[in-house]
Amino acid sequence: MARTRSTKPSTAAPAADADSSRSKSAITLVPHSGEPPKVFILPSKATPEARIVTLPNPRNSQPSRYLACPDTGIYEFKRIAAPKSEPRSWLIEASTDSDQAKTGDNASASSQVTMGSELFVATALDPLFLVLPALADAKASKGSEKPKRLFLSSDDHLDKLPQESSHLSEILRWDTTRRLIESRMSAVCDTVDAGDESMFRLNEDKLLEVIYQKAKRMSKSGLPPSMEDKFVNKVLEAPLMHRVVRTESQVTSNPNSGTSTPQADSATSQSTVSSTETDASSVSQTSTAATSVAGEQADETIASALQASPETVELQKLKTAFEFICASYIPSGLADTLKQSFTGTGGPVDFSPLNDYLASLEKLRSETMAVRAQDYSRKRNMDEEEDEARMEKKRKMEEEKKKKASESRGVRELKKVNTSGMKKLSHFFQKK
Amino acid sequence: MLEARLEQASILKKVVDAIKDLVQDCNFDCNDSGIALQAMDNSHVALVSMMLKAEGFSPYRCDRNIALGVNLTSLTKVLRAAQGDDILTIKAEDAPDVMNLLFESSGEDRISEYDLKLMDIDQEHLGIPETEYAATITMPSNEFRRICTDLAAMSESVGIEASKDGVKFSCNGDIGNGSVTLRSHTSIDKPENNVDIELTEPVSLTFSLKYLVNFCKAAALSNQVKICLSSEVPLLVEYNLSGSSYLRFYLAPKIGDDE
Repeated sequence: MARTRSTKPSTAAPAADADSSRSKSAITLVPHSGEPPKVFILPSKATPEARIVTLPNPRNSQPSRYLACPDTGIYEFKRIAAPKSEPRSWLIEASTDSDQAKTGDNASASSQVTMGSELFVATALDPLFLVLPALADAKASKGSEKPKRLFLSSDDHLDKLPQESSHLSEILRWDTTRRLIESRMSAVCDTVDAGDESMFRLNEDKLLEVIYQKAKRMSKSGLPPSMEDKFVNKVLEAPLMHRVVRTESQVTSNPNSGTSTPQADSATSQSTVSSTETDASSVSQTSTAATSVAGEQADETIASALQASPETVELQKLKTAFEFICASYIPSGLADTLKQSFTGTGGPVDFSPLNDYLASLEKLRSETMAVRAQDYSRKRNMDEEEDEARMEKKRKMEEEKKKKASESRGVRELKKVNTSGMKKLSHFFQKK
Repeated sequence: MLEARLEQASILKKVVDAIKDLVQDCNFDCNDSGIALQAMDNSHVALVSMMLKAEGFSPYRCDRNIALGVNLTSLTKVLRAAQGDDILTIKAEDAPDVMNLLFESSGEDRISEYDLKLMDIDQEHLGIPETEYAATITMPSNEFRRICTDLAAMSESVGIEASKDGVKFSCNGDIGNGSVTLRSHTSIDKPENNVDIELTEPVSLTFSLKYLVNFCKAAALSNQVKICLSSEVPLLVEYNLSGSSYLRFYLAPKIGDDE
């Protein structure tokens, strides 16, 4: 169970300052001078010795805040906030027993509202990411050329991290933390023992494996819905128009699949359909097999390829998770090479089904767009012209009708009279 | 403002009935001498001229000259609501949007009132000079109508030939030809059947029968019709209304390649 604290790090040294300034302001109601209180959720397993420290962010090397606990490791802070369009705020009431004991009679007065609605949640962070920039440092600086990496002691590696406003050296004084960091380093490094000290050198294959395992775990336990929606479903989504085509072709090719059962079965097993697939997708799979075996026209195979198989979806999830980890915790230079080797041919996973699917999808999309654009422009042009013509006709009809209503039958019939040889009356009579 | 009370609504009904098949829209020009109308058909070969003198109304009041532009088809619809012996009162403001028609049945136990929307009609007025016609024929209006309708069945045009022997209406059509000749005739018992021909010189002209048949719709207005002819000038067909009020039709003759 997490504890909620209404102050900045209550156990850290600056916390006392924050406390006193808060209680003072509560009494005198002077304008708040310092930063407004922030709401944190800290892990309950973190010991009281845990400190909020500043360490370089592994992605961009900027100083960032982390929670370091000598016993349980390092935590990063995730900021959770309502969108700007929905302003929220916190009502913080310091009425817990411990707070009362500390602030005494001011307890009720110290309740306050903060403007910001942020909630900071400390989540466990693999210390590996923190030291990764140091391990990959040579690579990042030398660029594309394969660098010669040296076996270095952990201290030598850690010295490469940006030193300014970093508390790294302080937390390394905790034995447990140092051991933790070194153990994580050894997971991605080749090590040699030199006397009583271990020397480390980054091994990219090991690193790739570690990241891959993380990504696998992440995709297995399910991506957050918003992420899944945006990076998995949307990417794999086929144009709607062709779905209709697909269902039609499915129906027509079903008898085929029935007659050519053996081929269909073998094809299905080849494509390693996962057991969780729905009835509908299995039908589409068999129809794929049937049509491909029968060698029917191309559009039908493309159409049936539109349904992303569960395998493809899994691959896309894995890729998304991997890219998320790379984008969040790994220096950009290293992340690029990792991504390349991950999705490349020598990677731990075969992405070819996903790539094939995406390629056909891309082709389909461009085709659909072209067809649609054509359709649209042609239809629109025609519509406009037709509309105009129709409106014109309608207007004329209405005018005609009105005119007809206002003239008598006799007048209409007189119009048909042959007046040849008859001069106009204005020829005989002068105009007034 | 205008206020004109006509003892017999049928007069206006018949006038409008007679001209509504010739013209579509026209102005009723009202001034202190009465209500006048001049309009041409769409082809501008025929002209209708009407004058309802102030004496024909009782009372008649017109403060300033106003033009009541009406669509004759619409006016017909309103006038259809009037009985022939109803008393009709026409009223209008000085700058009118509508023309008010009030029908009182002679028993005075029923009053119906209609407002007819007016329209702006741009019409050219022709000055019609007083003409000495070479031939003036006065005859029963029903007789003229009969001749016109009979001949119209055979041909599109009629030749009218006035000589000292009489007046000959002749036509030549696809199915054959025909003619009607009338001589001067005076009946003391029935003066409405008189045929009177005044001739200064012989005239022979050709006219479109369709138009003449149209003119004959005014036969209900008067027992007698006066037909005036002169070479090279339009034919005049005149129906006399009560007093010196009249309804006149002019029709351009057919010249050149007739028959």
